[in-house]
Amino acid sequence: MTNQVKAPHIVKAFSEELEQLSADVAAMGGLAESLVSDALEAAATRDGDLAAGVVARDAQVDAMQRDIEKKIIRLLALRHPIAQDLRVCIAALKIVTDLERVGDLAKSIARRVPALNDSEPTAFAASVDRMGKLVLSHMHEVLDAYVTGETARAVAVWERDDDVDEHYNALFRELVRAMRDDHVMIGPGAHLLFIAKNLERIGDHATNIAEVIHYLVTGRELASERPRGPRPEQSA
Amino acid sequence: MAVFRTRHTGMIPIGMVEERTNRRPLKSPDRPRRRDIALTAGLGVFIMAVLALSGEMEAGVFLAGSLALAGLAAVYYLTALTAAEPSARPAEAGASLRPVEIDACEAMLERLPIPVLLIGPGGRIERANPSARAFLGLGAERGLLSTALRQPRVLEAVSAALRGERGAAVEYSTLAPLESHVRAFVEPIRLDVPGPMPFRAMLVLADDTSSKRAERMRADFLANASHELRTPLASLSGFLETLQGPAHDDEEARDRFLAIMKEQTERMRRLIDDLLSLSRVEMNEHVAPTGSVELNDLARDVTEALRLVAERRAITLELTLADTPAQVRGDHDQIYEVVENLVENAIKYSPDGSQVRIWVEAPRTRDGAEHMPERMDPQSGRLTLSAPPLDPDARFAVVRVRDNGPGIERRYLPRLAERFFRVDGQKSGPTAGTGLGLAIVKHIVSRHRGGFTVESAPGAGSVFSAFFMLAPAQATAPPAPPSGTGPVEQTAGAVTKV
Repeated sequence: MTNQVKAPHIVKAFSEELEQLSADVAAMGGLAESLVSDALEAAATRDGDLAAGVVARDAQVDAMQRDIEKKIIRLLALRHPIAQDLRVCIAALKIVTDLERVGDLAKSIARRVPALNDSEPTAFAASVDRMGKLVLSHMHEVLDAYVTGETARAVAVWERDDDVDEHYNALFRELVRAMRDDHVMIGPGAHLLFIAKNLERIGDHATNIAEVIHYLVTGRELASERPRGPRPEQSA
Repeated sequence: MAVFRTRHTGMIPIGMVEERTNRRPLKSPDRPRRRDIALTAGLGVFIMAVLALSGEMEAGVFLAGSLALAGLAAVYYLTALTAAEPSARPAEAGASLRPVEIDACEAMLERLPIPVLLIGPGGRIERANPSARAFLGLGAERGLLSTALRQPRVLEAVSAALRGERGAAVEYSTLAPLESHVRAFVEPIRLDVPGPMPFRAMLVLADDTSSKRAERMRADFLANASHELRTPLASLSGFLETLQGPAHDDEEARDRFLAIMKEQTERMRRLIDDLLSLSRVEMNEHVAPTGSVELNDLARDVTEALRLVAERRAITLELTLADTPAQVRGDHDQIYEVVENLVENAIKYSPDGSQVRIWVEAPRTRDGAEHMPERMDPQSGRLTLSAPPLDPDARFAVVRVRDNGPGIERRYLPRLAERFFRVDGQKSGPTAGTGLGLAIVKHIVSRHRGGFTVESAPGAGSVFSAFFMLAPAQATAPPAPPSGTGPVEQTAGAVTKV
């Protein structure tokens, strides 16, 4: 009798810990998402205070990463998870690393806002905003896929990273051309190039997370390299 | 030790033990440790009793020590007892309300069109009314809030309320994949349950998207309208001044100027029409359309209506319909506007005597809907200008329009649906558009949770595709045949040359 009561009791506690771990990763994802979204809004509305807020809140992402990593190490040490449970732990460990990088990239975007505010508004704000929204939607989809375990959605995001690259390439070419034509554009243009590059890398982190989700759910790696278009650095 | 043992078993009736085992899911994970502590305390008392009896310890110290340990054990024993109880008490507490009143409260909560949630300790969703389930896309199980709603500020407010701190109202917005602005009200509720966590958090969500959008739309409309109308207005006033002054008696110049002025006023009228149409669409963008449209019929109607325009420039319109019905969810007039804009554009940018192809495909998966199975040109650029949230089960009907025009350079593709964007060289001349056509298409498609894509290669022409979700009856239809065959072969329906 005692064993019958106890056995599921312990597993229950363990599965609750795993569930809590996924919820923590999702909450950290939400924080990273909000940093990217606020950084973009700060750039679009030329809001220096909002940008400063993003820079300050990045520390929260770092703290959450450390906290979650500790929890994972505790889980690994105490529960010795295997199979699916082990994958949940490893996936969480990988995802928080990507999310922490996303937070850093958002901070880096926010840091450029004051510099951009010193120069006149440019016509490229709309393009950056559009690219940012696309990247944000990828982040959102991939985190949704994480909490629901829908591999198909994760894979769909993975396949659509090309769209981000296409936006980046177009923006890169237009910016290079504008900077060549008008020297006044060099200052803001350089900042916008970095913002675009940061967004492109956030998109890459979203595809990394998509790969981890695929591994988490199916136990298999996502097939080979993603198909890639030509890099703009070579053709501009 | 014996004292504690008898207490332990004596105070918990058999029925209670059984009830606890029945409620296994509610047990807290660390309960065995509480019992261990009680046992350890008992052991401590026992050792001290031995020490006191053997004269090693004074009676006063023994009394104080055993009292402290007994107190400790009693506290843990009580928490162990109450941890099992929360589920039992609310029912008793509810007994003060008559069942009819409870039913009425339940029914009201169930029918409330506002999302309301009750969050329990640890951030677990204890209750959610149907509109909350729909709003957050919750499943049936009691999940954790942070997996359903990843908004850091809401989560912070909820955990503050769970600690019993004051409630708060926070706002959050998501920009992608669908824009929404929500106000969240969080209030702590103290339940009459024993135990360390009597607080629950009530979370009420209010969708603020429409008012936020309306606010921004008005500002955008004013800015856009004044900016774009300034150019034709300046040219009008310039010609008027010339007509009043130097060209007053020059009949030839007057006719020429009046013709230009007529063209400019035409342009202003078109611009205002388009701007109004755009803001109408934008205003309702987050309101899903009702009604359904047969895309085959609609494509035929549009093609018929534009045949005369095309014939004037000896352009043939070739229409291929899907061999299955393509009933999509949507507003007839708006989808008509989408197809009309795409075909009009194709005619506008095609050279005289060429051909514009229009075809309908259904059913397609998201991947099949976005682009043609094969690229039109090895160097072509492809881009999704607007797309619904990913849903692997959704099936779509697609209308594609292909022209043999000059094509669009890759670097312009992302900006195509930007309002007032015109590719270099199209900014003036007889074909100059308002630069709003594709922006309107994008917003209509986005309102329908559909998609809008382009593929183009300089010299090879362009293909624009718009896809819409199939109406439910058809969404379960078998998936599209494997890709690899050309679009025309796939849709071997009736080919109508117009």
